[in-house]
Amino acid sequence: MTTLRKLAALLLCALLAGAAGACADGGGDDTDAAGPVRLLVFGAPEELAAYRTLVDAYGKARPGRPVQLVEASDRKDLIARLATSVAGGAPPELFLMNYRFYGQFAVKDAIEPLDERIAASTVIDPADYYPVAMDAFRWQGRQLCLPQNVSSLAVYYNRTLFEKYGVALPKAGWTWNDLLTTATAMTRDARGGIIRGTESEGAAQRPAVHGVGIEPSIIRLAPFVWSNGGEIVDDPARPTRLTLDGPAAREALKNLVDLRLAYGVVPTDEEVESEDDESRFANGRLAMLLSSRRSTTTFRSITGFEWDVAPLPVYRQQVGVLHSDAYCMTRGGSNKPAAWNFLEYAISAEGQRIIAATGRTVPSHIGVSTSPDFLGPAQPPRSAKVFLDAIPTVRALPAVSTWPEIEDVTGGILENALYRGDRLDDVIRELDEQTRPLFARGEYPQ
Amino acid sequence: MRPDRGHRQLAVLLAPYLVGLIVLVLAPFAVTLALAFTEYDLIRPPRWTGTANLTALTADPIFRTALVNSLVFGAVAVPLRLLAALGLALLLHRRAPGTSTARTASVLPTAVPEIAYGLLWLWLLNPLYGPISQVLRLGGTNGLTVFGRTPPQWLTDPADARAAIVLMSLFTIGEMFVILLAARRALPPDVYELAALEDATAWDVLRRITLPLIAPVLGLLLIRDAIGSLQFSFVPALVVTDGGPPPYATTYIPLFAYRNAFEYLRYGYAAAATLVMLLLTVAAVALQWRLLRRYGRFHSQ
Repeated sequence: MTTLRKLAALLLCALLAGAAGACADGGGDDTDAAGPVRLLVFGAPEELAAYRTLVDAYGKARPGRPVQLVEASDRKDLIARLATSVAGGAPPELFLMNYRFYGQFAVKDAIEPLDERIAASTVIDPADYYPVAMDAFRWQGRQLCLPQNVSSLAVYYNRTLFEKYGVALPKAGWTWNDLLTTATAMTRDARGGIIRGTESEGAAQRPAVHGVGIEPSIIRLAPFVWSNGGEIVDDPARPTRLTLDGPAAREALKNLVDLRLAYGVVPTDEEVESEDDESRFANGRLAMLLSSRRSTTTFRSITGFEWDVAPLPVYRQQVGVLHSDAYCMTRGGSNKPAAWNFLEYAISAEGQRIIAATGRTVPSHIGVSTSPDFLGPAQPPRSAKVFLDAIPTVRALPAVSTWPEIEDVTGGILENALYRGDRLDDVIRELDEQTRPLFARGEYPQ
Repeated sequence: MRPDRGHRQLAVLLAPYLVGLIVLVLAPFAVTLALAFTEYDLIRPPRWTGTANLTALTADPIFRTALVNSLVFGAVAVPLRLLAALGLALLLHRRAPGTSTARTASVLPTAVPEIAYGLLWLWLLNPLYGPISQVLRLGGTNGLTVFGRTPPQWLTDPADARAAIVLMSLFTIGEMFVILLAARRALPPDVYELAALEDATAWDVLRRITLPLIAPVLGLLLIRDAIGSLQFSFVPALVVTDGGPPPYATTYIPLFAYRNAFEYLRYGYAAAATLVMLLLTVAAVALQWRLLRRYGRFHSQ
């Protein structure tokens, strides 16, 4: 009996110790508790290296204030880690998240509003930052997060390959038809001859170089719909449905899927599964790639050819889509003053200069974005100003708490439209039917 | 040893397992059961919604797809896994040169961590550069097989992707193989000697001696694998096919529950899906149990 009693006592102690630890972790008060500030991020190895550079620089600039980088494998892993740690009462003090995905945490009041801290700060002046990025992180009138970047979609192109085949480089003001003509001229076989990628299905030869790579997703489609005078949702402030059935949106969607189905200038799904577009571009097998600034850090490791960026092609008017990530502070974090110190540093001109030099960001700080730290010709892309020129025309996607689900659902349908050739009417109907309940369940910032 | 002392020792030995069972299995199960009737997002307190989650599941096309996928996977993978493990056990139960190596090779994939195993298959199944596709293209021209057909599109065709998940599950049968190997080696050799004297064919021996004698073990493994089959599709579907290709070709209930709980923060809804999975498991086990008991009664008569 004594043994059993001892065992029971031991178990009770263990449970109490665990509970005490949880209580201590879950405090979340405003005291400057000991221990490092945890910053939860995800990204490619090159992006993570950029954040490490920033953290190291902070360590040197503010000794004795440790920051620990917590690295998630991808965006979904980051969301899972954040949600479970918030539920467990021990969230990281800071996390970096895109405006498309922070809504589900904002609506649940898991993010600490920063207005008072910003007002008291001697380092941060909101007027120094691009309003479009700041506004993307305002939820019900409160500034929940502070943006580190204000990127948009651009066309990365392999300049060496263009010069080799004597094809005109993409330039500002070029149209969708120009993109198509260029992509067709750049789709080549192993001997360098122009081939039609559609013939690669089945028994014919596959292109050695594809003209263009584009992900079949709503965020890639949106700027072309807007540029063509259409809308992707019925009400950008409180959307209830997707409106890809409008003539302008339909035309943009048809032109997008035709890149594969009619012209074969984008790789097949089999080819994308074998080698994603970013790797294909880095390996010199893709002439152009539509991507955000995020790809720059990876592409800076390219040594075999020269590359650059160009603006998005235009239908009727130049419109871009906002890509912006921000530092957010969790409400339940245990070390808020120290977290704010790091956030202030990361967002300040000094911090933004450091991260801009790694290539990861188009700085949200206006002064830094126009300085040689971002525009300097030392490292590619040579035409970095393309990202700045796009800022006045960028639009944000709707802020709704169910947006991650909407992107997942639409991604699958658009994938089948591009690669499998599903009928356009069915695609548009499915997009509408499957997303209506998600919009209905969503909550909005206003 | 006095009986009460023996019981005490037994209780002490069982205690860690029982504590683990209560803390890690039964308590989370009870919480999940309760959360299935709430709206809970992991952050705000749960809100009681009655059977709303279960009603919503019946109207959710993604859940229906996941349910069918899980049932089809179980119906196909479980018998194939059992058959493969039995075949290997019967093939490798004798002492012969190379059997030890073959036994080790049969068990080895089970010892590989699940994520690493998934990533390995991601490479093996790569449509253009993966070794499986390369081998299938041997002798063919222009990317076709020697029979002039396109090789399976493991990651882009819905049916082929489902087949890939089943294929992956066929190599993690080490535990079943070891149990069946031990069961076969425990069978009395004189029965087989008698059968040899009677000039019984190999098929007769298998049908009339080996299978009936090994049937209780097979029955146990069948039930165990049916329970497991609803769960072990999770990592391959997450790591290799990401639930696709669209529309949700390899989204099984565990992946559906994971996404809703941890990516969309619909924990109550995911708990309801898990509850359905549990009920399915209970139904599958009950059905098999009835069949096995009927089989047992038939043979004891």
